[in-house]
Amino acid sequence: MSLAILNARILDPASQTDAPGGIFIDKGKIREVRTGTKVSFPDAKETIDAGGLCLAPGLIDLRAKTGEPGEEHKETLATASRAALSGGITSFVVMPDTRPVIDDVALVQFIAERGRETAFARVYPAGGLTIGLGGEAMAEIGMMAEAGAVMFTNGDWPVASAQVMKRAMTYAASRGAIVMSRPDDRTLSGNGVMNAGEFAARHGLSGIPVEAEWLGAMRDVTLAEQTGCTLILDQVTTQRTLDIADIAKGRGAKVFTTVAAHSLFFNELDIGDYLTYCKVNPPFRTEQMRKTLVSALQEGAINAVVSAHDPQPPEEKRLPLGEAAFGAAGLETVLPCLMTLVAEGELSLLEALAPVTIGPASILGLPQGRLAEGAPADLILFDPGKPWLCDRDHLLSRSKNSPFDGRRLQGRVIRTFVGGKTVFERQDA
Amino acid sequence: MAAAHADYTFRHEHLLGIEGLHLLDISHILDLADTYAEATRAGKRPDPILTGRTVVNLFFENSTRTMSSFEIAARRLGADVVSMPVANSSVKKGETLIDTAMTLNAMKPDVLVVRHSASGGAKLLSRKVDCAVVNAGDGTHEHPTQGLLDTLTIRRVKGRIEGLKVVICGDIAHSRVARSTTMALHLMGARVHLCGPRTLIPPGTDTWGAESAGTDFNAVLPGADVVMMLRLQLERMNGSFLPSQREYFHYFGLTADRLALARPDAIVMHPGPMNRGVEIESSIADGERSVITEQVEMGVAVREAVLHLLAGGRA
Repeated sequence: MSLAILNARILDPASQTDAPGGIFIDKGKIREVRTGTKVSFPDAKETIDAGGLCLAPGLIDLRAKTGEPGEEHKETLATASRAALSGGITSFVVMPDTRPVIDDVALVQFIAERGRETAFARVYPAGGLTIGLGGEAMAEIGMMAEAGAVMFTNGDWPVASAQVMKRAMTYAASRGAIVMSRPDDRTLSGNGVMNAGEFAARHGLSGIPVEAEWLGAMRDVTLAEQTGCTLILDQVTTQRTLDIADIAKGRGAKVFTTVAAHSLFFNELDIGDYLTYCKVNPPFRTEQMRKTLVSALQEGAINAVVSAHDPQPPEEKRLPLGEAAFGAAGLETVLPCLMTLVAEGELSLLEALAPVTIGPASILGLPQGRLAEGAPADLILFDPGKPWLCDRDHLLSRSKNSPFDGRRLQGRVIRTFVGGKTVFERQDA
Repeated sequence: MAAAHADYTFRHEHLLGIEGLHLLDISHILDLADTYAEATRAGKRPDPILTGRTVVNLFFENSTRTMSSFEIAARRLGADVVSMPVANSSVKKGETLIDTAMTLNAMKPDVLVVRHSASGGAKLLSRKVDCAVVNAGDGTHEHPTQGLLDTLTIRRVKGRIEGLKVVICGDIAHSRVARSTTMALHLMGARVHLCGPRTLIPPGTDTWGAESAGTDFNAVLPGADVVMMLRLQLERMNGSFLPSQREYFHYFGLTADRLALARPDAIVMHPGPMNRGVEIESSIADGERSVITEQVEMGVAVREAVLHLLAGGRA
């Protein structure tokens, strides 16, 4: 079944294309991308007139949590997939911090299988780096990688022991596996609930200092350099952390950095009157730090923007800030968050899309994330300037804990394709 | 008795490691061991050249196999043998290695055979006593008689050492066998390749004489004349150095399929004791290409030769 999408604005960060044109799809793959105002593909069985909408690769998210298995009331792979597709995300990596933890070959196979059976988006399992994420015994990295785990991480629970981390990274490197680590020295960040500083102090809240991130990053990039392991520094929040990564890269370390989309949008003041939906880890930092992150993104210094999707039901969030769970639902707001920055003139469309398409695709070595002949036809049609009001009740995620609730955003996905098939179409558009 | 060269004499006071031995020393020990092995096979009792000599086995770590091997070797040559498994005795409590050595030294033994958990333990002892010291394994450093018996076993089966490709697979980092055997085989002209999980491969194995140290067992096996599997200590499994027994066997276990990658006449060795199903399949360990029991047999012969050279006058 062949399909042509015509009259679109082609946006492809991989080839730096931003031009009117059309695309021809056959057997689930992109067969031809043509730019120009009078493109047509007469051979196509079906033709879609994009009406001038933007056509870009579907987004790739390196960090989403669901509740499957074990906490399906928070989110399943199916509900996460639905939310993701409505937000333009066509591929996502699920974190291993579930119940049970994904630290075993059979569980990796379970996630991959459930993803294929119940989700229309492409679901990639991340394996636990240590057994039970306990930080003590390394998990079966080699066999899980063979079973389809695309990376290994301790999720929200960074490995405390440098010795365990070094051995795990040494072993992972020898099997060609990628390790993702949250740069966070928990012996310093301890019981902090928000960014350390004047605001936290005035509100009587314990802080998570930026030094904890820097110390964690310094350890992990040093080990990456020494072991030869490919490292993803997960959810960086400061320029200095990027600098730490750059120094290691200069010494030959294979280090990539990611930023959570919401960290590009919010600052610590958004916690306001103890709003638990803004309680995330790493925390929202100062406005100045947020601005430097956006500049870094604009300069291409950040490899990937992630949703950091962490669904939490009301019982985990309707609590005093100190007791509430960390985490924000994020799958549906990555693209709008980036498009709002575009609308504010902070980023160009291609700069905004690169870290959610070709950036993550290159880290994992995936064929999608680009509009190229032979690539899977994972695509989105979207209106980058469409204003909308984020209302948590209208979110498709099973958990509604979005810090964007009540915010005005710009940019909406109109139609999403995976493997050339329409898997989401916005009805109210 | 066979002598390697007419103008050669074994000049070492102790046997602390393969490091420090000359190629001629090794050839000489192997030649002598060969004659002892042949004598034993022929049912002949060797000359009791250690009559009146006292050999003390001082084992700070449990090892029934090695201690018995030394004991049998010494008895065959007529020595008086005292075996002290210190690991289980009250000597261990409160007394340092040196205190124990000084006490034993005062009893005037001729040879002290020592096993100790600390690398350098045998060397330290040798500085404090007046008799010959044989290192029967010091920590993760050396186990010279094992290196010699492995070399002898290979030489007897293959008829030579020079030019053979030997693959040693397992926990290289913590193995005193890997160090001693690699050095001995390298001196004798073999090409030794080490293999194991990256976490268990130490830096600088080229200085031992290893040609390579990698993590891909399948890739290194083609052309191998000898495949030697090392014992994986249980405490190294289950997460600290590697994920699990299952994953270890998946990548490093010696199976029939893997052995088929080596030369058709390749032999299989293991210093023992084996973890069947962890580093080696039972059918391989017991199969016709396994020379594991020959290794044990050559262990006695090599130890007879070593005791002979250190305490029995010139061979």
